[in-house]
Amino acid sequence: MLAGERLSYERAPGFDEAVDPGHSPRAHYAALFAELARISPAELGARERLRDAIFRRLGITFAVYGDAGGIERTWPMDLVPRIIPAAEWAIVERGLAQRVRALNMFLDDIYNGEAAAVRDGIVPRRLVVSSDGFVREAVGIRVPHGARCLVAGIDLVRDAHGIYRVLEDNLRTPSGISYVLENRAALARVMPALSARHRIRPVHHYASLLLGALHAIAPKVRGSKPRVVVLTPGIYNSAYFEHAFLARQLGAELCEGRDLVVENHTVYARTTKGLERVDVIYRRVDDRFVDPAVFRPESVLGVPGLMGALRAGNVGLANALGCGLADDKAIYPFVPALIRYYLGEEAILPNVDTYLLWEPDQREAALARLNELVMKPVAASGGYGIVIGPQATEEQLDICRKEILADPRAWIAQELVDLSSHPTFIDGRLEPRHIDLRPFILGGERIEVVPGGLTRVALRRGSYIVNSSQGGGSKDTWVLAAEGEAR
Amino acid sequence: MLARHAEDLFWTGRYLERAEDTARLLDVTYHGLLEGGATEAGMAWQGVLEALSLAHLFRARHKQATVDAVEAFLVLDRSHSSSIAAAITRARENARNVREYLSTELWDALNSTYLELQGEDRADELAAHPHEFYRRVRSRCQLVAGAAAETMPRLDAWRFLMLGRLVERAEMTCRLLRVPAPQPLGDEHQDEIHYWMVMLNAVSALEAYAREFGAEITPARVLEMLVLSPDFPRSVLFCLRGAEAQLEALEGGVAAPAVRRALSRLRSELEYQDFASLRERGASDALERTRRGIAQIAERIEACFFATGPSPERHVYESV
Repeated sequence: MLAGERLSYERAPGFDEAVDPGHSPRAHYAALFAELARISPAELGARERLRDAIFRRLGITFAVYGDAGGIERTWPMDLVPRIIPAAEWAIVERGLAQRVRALNMFLDDIYNGEAAAVRDGIVPRRLVVSSDGFVREAVGIRVPHGARCLVAGIDLVRDAHGIYRVLEDNLRTPSGISYVLENRAALARVMPALSARHRIRPVHHYASLLLGALHAIAPKVRGSKPRVVVLTPGIYNSAYFEHAFLARQLGAELCEGRDLVVENHTVYARTTKGLERVDVIYRRVDDRFVDPAVFRPESVLGVPGLMGALRAGNVGLANALGCGLADDKAIYPFVPALIRYYLGEEAILPNVDTYLLWEPDQREAALARLNELVMKPVAASGGYGIVIGPQATEEQLDICRKEILADPRAWIAQELVDLSSHPTFIDGRLEPRHIDLRPFILGGERIEVVPGGLTRVALRRGSYIVNSSQGGGSKDTWVLAAEGEAR
Repeated sequence: MLARHAEDLFWTGRYLERAEDTARLLDVTYHGLLEGGATEAGMAWQGVLEALSLAHLFRARHKQATVDAVEAFLVLDRSHSSSIAAAITRARENARNVREYLSTELWDALNSTYLELQGEDRADELAAHPHEFYRRVRSRCQLVAGAAAETMPRLDAWRFLMLGRLVERAEMTCRLLRVPAPQPLGDEHQDEIHYWMVMLNAVSALEAYAREFGAEITPARVLEMLVLSPDFPRSVLFCLRGAEAQLEALEGGVAAPAVRRALSRLRSELEYQDFASLRERGASDALERTRRGIAQIAERIEACFFATGPSPERHVYESV
């Protein structure tokens, strides 16, 4: 029990980010608690209203599909930031860079190399060719610096012992970075005294890092600065806000498929002055929609002929096609071995223990205790389709069991991680809520890890579901500068 | 810039202007032309609908042109694109597509206006304080315009936004001047002065007129002020000259010279029009010719800068 005049916080069992098992604040949270204790309940309410007003006015929203209450919802940010000390982050940062480097080497090996990892038996061939994320058409397309996954979001959780573990890799079109930047800006306005007492590593330069990485994959110097565009599926996409945000910060045009046209294996934008050449496309459209001439003829999201331009080396595309192979949840268990294979290093960030359900022994073992495990479809993201054993009904488990038996390749099962919790304002009181972390990594010519990332919060007590599409919240995430935790 | 973005900016400008001008028109109609009885009021509202070319659309939805019905139709009805709420919604939707061209202040101003109009109690508010309501719409639109003027670089995005506003404003000023004078209530001369003052008021030109011509109000001078003034920012000529300047500064567009020529022709025809010598009927016809000319210019701008072949429908697409 942590008691101030106005503030009390009861930690939950498991690992609490802010309070140690003896119920004292951890050193790097002491200043934060002291500052929070000064805020009266009335003032807290006023600040929460100010926060909501800021997000609503600026149109910082996300869309929820199939939501009858309108497609735009205001972004939910908790007023208690998450704090990561410098020394702790240094390890996470090295681990993330190591992982992205190895994953990119794996992707380049498969798509543009000799598939050595398969030849040498590190990853089974049938897993690669059966992967939903494997894009056969991308084989042979060269990417400068092997930077196939240029923007990665690696989801981390902390287990009951406080160990950071990789929960899943997002290598296709991970979203959330705009919220990292907006959370930082909003919290500084709503809780200025909090920010002022800490030395926080900045994140607002992200777009400049991204632009540098995008320029580095431009086909060749044409005398002038490469023309970069952002390709969005359009205004109805759940991450449209982010696409517009990034385009604005990059100084790039936000294109839809119909704004681009390919002639002579070269991509052009339809402008008010006619057609103008495009050098790099930062696309937020899924692999199989980018070129309707090759993939889905009925799709209007992509650009017919884009594959030809890619093959001719006339345009850079980030992320490259086929990155979904490496974030297939069935490949995930092999990532530590891939790190060892390509880099000769042990993985700095461990995985969560995982059952490979296509292996008969492991399947038997997992099926015997489905009610204790977490089952995930290998190709889904966003928390869709996940079955959490301890919270599922018998009927749900039965359905899951049948689906696994029908197609074992389509599922993995993982030990349930008792996610760390973090003090979070719920109805004006501090309560522990489970959190995870999605850091963003630029896997270009040099690897850049953005300090912190997007902390997501499960707002229902005891819940492990942090996805914003399923009622999760978020936190500003501070990585403290080295030396001195507080000013 | 992308043709689609140019088009979105053009329409952001048009819808924003439409919302403001509609609020101006309704405000003066409500407060200036409705001092007679119910019959006169009905005729005045009918006149507004006809000036806006919306009488037909209105009749499909309402039986009688009462104040409540016309206000409901022109303010909060989102089923057509000419109500204030629909215009603001569309201005915002278009602006949302070109968010990266707009400063945060500009977006904030437009989005706040949109959110305010979303409130459920707007109909009650409109009924209780119509003037307050229209004044707020007007000042919110001006806030958006001010944010644009103070934060947008004078490049193509700004030019398309301004083109949209100027074209719409020129057209709306022509429409305003075609709202018929109400039935005389007593002294014909006084009623006429009153009518022309209302016209000046609608475009905030009363003070500027007084400085230019003194307090004596004559139809010919009001027309000169609102149609031919080279200095007053809401006059038709001022808008056309402004649009010409924006068009001149725009780069590219294969057909751009032809659009410029058409606009210059329309402008000089207007300049040589002698409104003072026209009878009431003749002035109205001349204004309608000018208005049609402006609408054609808008179509040519679209064809020249935005036409990029048939645009496919937007599809909902899922990826999280």
